[in-house]
Formats: sequence, structure tokens, C-alpha cells
Amino acid sequence: MKVIITRGIEKVYNPEKVPVHALNGVDLEIQEGEFTAIVGPSGSGKTTLLNIIGGLDRPTEGYVEVGGQDISKLSDNELIDFRKNHIGFVFQAYNLIPVLTARENVEFVMLLQNRSREERQQRVLELLRAVGLEDKIDKRPSELSGGQQQRVAVARALAPKPAFILADEPTASLDSTSTANLLDLMAELNRRENVTFIFSTHDQRVIDRARRVVTLVDGAVDSDEQRSPEEIKTGEAKE
Amino acid sequence: MAWRNIWRNPTRSLVVIAAIAIGIWAAIFMSGFATGMSKSYVNNAIANIVSHIQAHHPKWEENYEVKYDIPNAAIVLDTLRNDARVQSVSARTLVTGMISSPQGARGIQAKGVVPEDEADVSQLRKNIVEGEYLSGERRNELLVGEELAQTLDLELKNKVVLTFQDLEGEITAGAFRIVGFFETGNDGFDEGHVFAIRGDLNRLLGAAPEGEEESKRLSGRVDGAVIHEIAVMLQDREQSAAYNAELAEEFPGLKVQTYREVSPDLDLYESQIESISLIYLIVIMLALIFGIINTMLMAVLERVRELGMLMAIGMNRVKVFFMIVLETIALALVGGPAGLLIGYVTILYFGNNGIDLSAFSDTLQMYGLSEVIYLQLEPVVYWQVPISVAITAILASIYPAYKAIHLRPVEAMRTIG
Repeated sequence: MKVIITRGIEKVYNPEKVPVHALNGVDLEIQEGEFTAIVGPSGSGKTTLLNIIGGLDRPTEGYVEVGGQDISKLSDNELIDFRKNHIGFVFQAYNLIPVLTARENVEFVMLLQNRSREERQQRVLELLRAVGLEDKIDKRPSELSGGQQQRVAVARALAPKPAFILADEPTASLDSTSTANLLDLMAELNRRENVTFIFSTHDQRVIDRARRVVTLVDGAVDSDEQRSPEEIKTGEAKE
Repeated sequence: MAWRNIWRNPTRSLVVIAAIAIGIWAAIFMSGFATGMSKSYVNNAIANIVSHIQAHHPKWEENYEVKYDIPNAAIVLDTLRNDARVQSVSARTLVTGMISSPQGARGIQAKGVVPEDEADVSQLRKNIVEGEYLSGERRNELLVGEELAQTLDLELKNKVVLTFQDLEGEITAGAFRIVGFFETGNDGFDEGHVFAIRGDLNRLLGAAPEGEEESKRLSGRVDGAVIHEIAVMLQDREQSAAYNAELAEEFPGLKVQTYREVSPDLDLYESQIESISLIYLIVIMLALIFGIINTMLMAVLERVRELGMLMAIGMNRVKVFFMIVLETIALALVGGPAGLLIGYVTILYFGNNGIDLSAFSDTLQMYGLSEVIYLQLEPVVYWQVPISVAITAILASIYPAYKAIHLRPVEAMRTIG
């Protein structure tokens, strides 16, 4: 089942002064439950494409359908609600709210969704256990390592039970062990909860674990490679 | 979260909290000082010059002519002295004329008083700075204001001549011996008034000698004296207006006035002081607004990336807006009570001990003010100031909150921070 469809997406920054073409007609379809890496050199448009799919940015031209909804027609406020209820984000850094504990960070989006206290508490424990941080539940981000912070971010992204998780360079600031652990975790969640994961990355460790690799060059799809389970490398390190 | 956010940078937050606390303290102190000055001025004026209520002939104020004495003054005095609300009464004979000494002459108003009655109504006895109070043991004793004494180069026991019109409209004069100098703290009053024994002035006015049959025949005279002014001190100043209205109804032939009516400058002074206090409050709040805007703007600008992330994961603009507003209100909620407490203690301390401004006594006396100002504050100010600060904090938070909600998540997260 296709959950993301993009048709002829173009994105031009600064169109009136010095136009910069970030995307030049990207056509892409992503199936439910895929574990996809969008790769390419710096400036190829990976983050721009991810932002447009996630409703953080709007295309200059083209059509974007996410979960059966044309998100290019949503207002800013509708987009905020759409992101809150359908998409989980994992960013490269500055991912967590520094004044909140791991528990509160994970609970935050569910508070925005007005979920009941009981449901929130149950889900927080379940997710922090799933990411192996049940003993760090009351720690603030400053008391966690980079890898632990990204695992809390993954738990937070999963908290509202989104259909998709978009991760922009999630391993860029992690060491090898933390990267391997994070990828193991995301692959496990992808398999167990059937959540669609889409990464933008140029980290070979992530690319090696992806079941599909979409390569962008100069804002256009250069190659789209589907991999068999045998071609996918497994994690090598445990923290 | 708003509460925790303000402690991200404790130094900066404490600076703003201190600014709010000092702002509130300054507003309370200024208001307390202004009210204290205002009360000092009014109390001085009441104690030394106008008393709580004054009664005159309705035409007295037109030309201050001696023929306009109070009709039925004896009956009025009886009524006043038998009322429990009245503390003391002084029935005065007033003449407007000239005081002459070998060094010069000045226009003055001479007040003829019964010394004991006057001492109960005004501070005249306490205000004697040299010499002694009126005794009535010798004829034509006179008390002169310190300011007038300096102008005319007068000394104790000097003789001066008072010249004025008598009841027949003829010019009359009498030689008076200075027995004391007084100082009320109001230079204007001290320069334009002298006090004599009432009987002495009445003799010169040509009123019937005290105790004679003629005085009894002339209804209204008190011990043969014409009475131009009855000054009344009440047990409770707050009853002035109500009691004044009662007297006006009971004696329609009299013009009875409260101290505010006798001396409208008191009202003007009070309202001016209130206006100045309000201006101070506005200036303090304006300074506070810019301080808070500066701090909150810094707090927003250093968190651009995080605010972008919050909006990216689904925090809508209304919630972001109120988070910033709440952070500002939280700062005010810490600084506000601290400022109120310090302000309250300051008012309590200087309300009892006063602020000694004797270094500026000359200037203060010129304006009828005491050398020691006791801070006083209307209780309502303890509400007005925090409400003003709360409004200030909310107003000051609007611009930073506006900046925050106009961030575009995708651009905000690209910011290096």
C-alpha cells in the first residue's frame, strides 16, 4: 500500500533574487512499512525532500500525498495538527527539550494530543523500555549520552503512534556503537510496529541497513534500489 | 515547562526578577513618600492654619470687613462645645491691617484669640520658638511669626503698632508688645499673621467691654467680643464633611467649610501628588517593559532552533505564544511578591521612624512641609502596583511571543544555536 506519493516536486529557494533549485521534479512512492534511506551528496536535496514529505516545508511545484491526504493544500495550522498526529520526527541534534526529563519529553506530544494521563504514562514506560532506557526515565537530556538522547527521540517520535517516522541525519553526531544500537532499535520497531521509516543520510552505516535506497543528485532521483534481506547488513555493536 | 524555561539561565532570570522587585519597591516607595509628603502638608495646614472646620459670616470672605461677624456666635459655640464629636473650638476675632515697627511696615491679619482655646485647636503654643505664649496677664501681648520678625527686624519685647479699621469704619491703632515668635513651618503664613488676646483687639475695634450689659444685649457676641471665625477640631478628621453638612443645616446663616473648602490648595496639592505618583509609576513600568522585552527576546532568540523543533513535532502557535507569555508572567510572579514585601517593610519602617530631611528644612518650610516625612501608603496601592506589573509583564511578553510564533520550523531548525 502506497503511503507517500510525490509527483513532480520542485523546490526553488529565493525564486526572485538568486533562485536555487533544491528539487527538480522528484517522483517517489513509498510503501507502508518501508525502511528507506534517501541518500546523496551534500546539497542534493535530501533534507528538503524530507521536510516537504513531513509537512515542514511546501514545494514550489508538484503534488505531495501522505497517508492519502494532499498535504500541499493544508494551512499552516492544519499542517501542525497533521504532523502532530501522523508523523514522528527524529532530528540530527537539538532533538529533545532540555528542561524536560526523558519521561516528559516522550510524553510531550501525547500531551499536545490531549491523551489521558493513564494512557500517556503507560505508553511512556512501554516506549522507554523498548528503547532500553527505563532506568533513565527521570534524567534530563544533559544527563544522557548522545546515543541515549537519540533513543529518547525515537521513543518520542513513536509516542503519538504515527504512520511514519522521518529521520534527518539521525546518526550524524553519534559514534559507531551508538549508531549501531540506534539502527538496531529502529529496525526492530519497523518490523514489530510496521512503522514506515524514512531517513535522509549520507552515513554508510545507515545506508547499509536500509531495505530501499533512493539516491538524489542535483535535486532529482538518480537511482532507486530495493534490497533483499540477504543484502542488508546487521548491527555489529551493542552498548 | 514555562517555569523550568525561566531557570535555564538563572543569572539572566534573576536580573529580571530583581528588576521587577526593585521596580515594585520603587513604585511603592515613591507612592509612600508622595503620600507621606501630602499628608504632612495637609496635617500641618490643619494643625496650624485651617483646623477641620471653620465658620464665618457668609460675606466675610468678600472683603474681610470687621462688620461681618458671626451672628449668634454664642449659640453656635454652645452647640459645638456640647457635641461629643467636637474636640476643641476657638472663637477668633480677625482684623486685617498693618503692623509697623521702626524698621518698616507690613500688611498682616491679626487673630484675636483666647489663649487656652487656641492652644487646644492649633499648634500655636507648641510653635513658639522664642519668648513665651500669650498669657493675658499684660495688656496688648502679641505673637509674631519668625519670618515676619526677620523681615521687620523685630526682637522680643519690641513694641509694634497694629493699625486697622474699627467697627465704625474708622482707622484705629494700638501699640502691642511682642512676647514671642512662632514658626508653623509655613513661611507664607508666618509672614502674614500675628496673634493677640481677643479682648485687646475687641477693645480697639470698639466692641462693648467684656461683661458689660451692652454685650449681653448684642446677641451673638461672646463675652462682648465680635467673632469672625470659629475654628473647630473634631475627634475624627474623616467626619469633617458629614459634620460640616450638619452644621450648615443647623445654622443656615453661617458659612461653614471643611478644611478642603477653606484651603482648596490642599486638594490641589493632594491631586498633584497623586498625579506625580502616577507619572513615576508609568515611568518605572515603561523601564520595566523594555527590560522584560530585552530578556524575553534573548530567551526566544537563543531557543530559535528548539522552538522550531517544538512546532515541527506539533506544538501549535497558540501554545507557543502562551508558553512565552507564561514564562514572562512566571518571572513577574517571583519578582512581584519580593518587591511587595520589601516595599511593605520599607513603608512600615519609615512610616514609624520617618525620613529626616532637615538638611532641606528651609525649602520644606517654604512649602509648608515637615522636616521629617513619614511614609504612608493607601492600602489600594498594594493591589494597584502588582496589577500594573502583571499588565506590564503581559504587554512586554507580546513582542517576544509574536517573534516566536512567526518562526518557520524548517528555517528555525536550520539556525545554528
